[in-house]
Amino acid sequence: MTSRAPLEHQAAWWMLAPALAFTLVFALYPVVDSFFLSLHRIFLGVPALGQPFVGFENYQTMAGDPVARQAFLVTIGFVLVSTALELVLGLGIALVIHEHFSGRGWVRVAALIPWSIPTVVASQMWRFIFNDQYGLANLLLFGERVEEYIPWLAYPGFAFAAIVFADVWKTSSFAGLLILAGLQVIPEEVYDAARIDGATTWQRFWKITLPLLKPALLLALLFRTMDAFRVFDLVFVMTQGGPGDSTLVLQFYGYKALFAEGRMGYGAAISVTVFLAIFVLSLFYIRGIGSRLLEKEPA
Amino acid sequence: MRGPLLLAAGILLGSLTASSQETLGAKSATHESTTVLRFVSWKPDNPHAWDEALARFTEAYPRIRVVREIAPHSSTAFHDLLTQKLKNHDPTVDLFLMDVVWVSEFAAAGWALPLDSLFPPSERIQFLPNTIEAGSYQGQVYGVPLRIDSGMLYYRADLLRKYGFEPPQTWEELARQADIIVEGEAPTDPGLRGYSGQFKQYEGLVCNMLEFIGSRGGQLISQDGRQPALATPESLASVRFVRDHIIRRLASRAVLTYQEPESLAVFVQGKAVFHRNWPYAWEVANNAERSAIAGKVGIAPLPRFPGGPSVAALGGWLYGISAYSQHQNEAWQFISFFSSHEMQKFFAIKEALAPSRTALYSDQDVLKAAPQFRDQFAVFQAATPRPRTPVYPAVSHILQRYFSRALAFADVDLEAEATSADRQINRLLRLTGESF
Repeated sequence: MTSRAPLEHQAAWWMLAPALAFTLVFALYPVVDSFFLSLHRIFLGVPALGQPFVGFENYQTMAGDPVARQAFLVTIGFVLVSTALELVLGLGIALVIHEHFSGRGWVRVAALIPWSIPTVVASQMWRFIFNDQYGLANLLLFGERVEEYIPWLAYPGFAFAAIVFADVWKTSSFAGLLILAGLQVIPEEVYDAARIDGATTWQRFWKITLPLLKPALLLALLFRTMDAFRVFDLVFVMTQGGPGDSTLVLQFYGYKALFAEGRMGYGAAISVTVFLAIFVLSLFYIRGIGSRLLEKEPA
Repeated sequence: MRGPLLLAAGILLGSLTASSQETLGAKSATHESTTVLRFVSWKPDNPHAWDEALARFTEAYPRIRVVREIAPHSSTAFHDLLTQKLKNHDPTVDLFLMDVVWVSEFAAAGWALPLDSLFPPSERIQFLPNTIEAGSYQGQVYGVPLRIDSGMLYYRADLLRKYGFEPPQTWEELARQADIIVEGEAPTDPGLRGYSGQFKQYEGLVCNMLEFIGSRGGQLISQDGRQPALATPESLASVRFVRDHIIRRLASRAVLTYQEPESLAVFVQGKAVFHRNWPYAWEVANNAERSAIAGKVGIAPLPRFPGGPSVAALGGWLYGISAYSQHQNEAWQFISFFSSHEMQKFFAIKEALAPSRTALYSDQDVLKAAPQFRDQFAVFQAATPRPRTPVYPAVSHILQRYFSRALAFADVDLEAEATSADRQINRLLRLTGESF
């Protein structure tokens, strides 16, 4: 490593430069700028107040803000439930499309369709499906008995479930894809050996597939957690946070503070908090995945 | 962001092609050339009327070319888009439409141009006083009223007649009538409900609740921004009434997800006896192509609680000029043309938009085309504004949360929620140095 020629070193830097510059401008700068904003008290609608530096006041306000606390809980709930369901379903999808059967290509494509639909479009679709007057959910459940139709999104519990449901529908196949990649690197010989030893299908799944799949599962978990933590579009389109803030997630709360209320400092503080939460979680996961991946590194 | 929007506006106008670059550059050219005015507006309900009005304007001012940027239909989304441009001092916005609740914010932030010298008192006096007040902030005027909106009670005149009822004066009376009619119609029309309104967690919820609370003499925020307003007996009783009698008894629970279009759809399908909406609903409800109840609709001032006044939330839109526009004179020419007596009359007849000019309510042509204005005039004059403060968007969010929680959750401690909302609002008003 250390014996690398200086010229080669220089070339490496040149080749890295575009990617580094891109990351600095589009990833690091916004984060730093958001953090800087979050240390100020800014009401766009009241310029007479100026934009004083207030240290961590916005973060203190957030700690005592019941709405922020609720948004945090709703977000955590959303992350836990949706990622858990997505991993389980993703594993199922991966196992199915890993098998050899005629028409597998079509099934693989079909499984990926939800993921390829833009979230805003999918959200709008789910909003229609859960509509109280012409929604498909009601038609399937109650048919022509219109008076029994349920306004799903008017119930806090159902509204939250609807958002989780829409997310699970949309991204399970993405988790499935990551897990499929993990499945494909498990050598057939291991299964053959197990079969010779008389292991049942169930035993092969628990003793071979799952342990060898752990890195892929963790990777899927990491991606889904990061994504679920910054959920916004589903809420924006389907419920606008309602009813009664039962679907208010942190990113939507931050959006309201920033774009509607003009509270730039407070909104930035919320965004930074979401960023930090994802950052810490990712570090935690990556340490887990990293060590495992290194162990498996081919000799 | 601006690219696609401009493109959309261009397609709508059917004219923005190669010439756009040329006219954009004309800013610095001699004043012989055309000025491009960029106007941020919603997509009108009747685009033909607006196209015709624009054509008339172009005829009168051939050197001004108006490019419309169509903002989202939802007032909140419109606000977020427009303020984003104004925050950035975007010089390509010349004039815009303002919802009545934005004026304080736009004025205090310095986004809207004060119009005092252009729009003198002798002119202002010809408009409905509450619309001028809605366009003013701290004694200066920032907006010219395009039209007035206020909450109205729509009812099924055929059903009320069938059961021998007069339009209800009080909310209790409304509930009683609705119960009897719904029960009586149940064998033939099991889907009929008593009421439909707007109770989703959004701005319209504030308007609906303002009407219920105000009609018992209550208020949304206290006069001095220090006292409780929501945690008062009048206000709490009104919220309880809406929760227990409107949501749980008369309306489908679905109203908790309804904005104006959804709630109106229920009414025009003949699925509600009573309906609360803005004046535009009259046109839709009586349009045989869009409504199953055309010709069977009555309109009345919103009911009140015993001892309280009938209260209608004031809505409506105003024209404003961007403080960062480089074509403020041309923008004013546009506004004075569009808000003239003649053009308001045109819109009142063509689009049934309620004019903001008082004289038009006694104009025979207008009343012939839109006879409902005769009944609505008194309601318009008395319409009640929502709280006027530069931090209104934040205040509104607190109110929306409180009302939505109060109505959606069965076990919520109403008094505690109200007290907490009061405290948050008052803290916000104190923080921003507001006093009332």
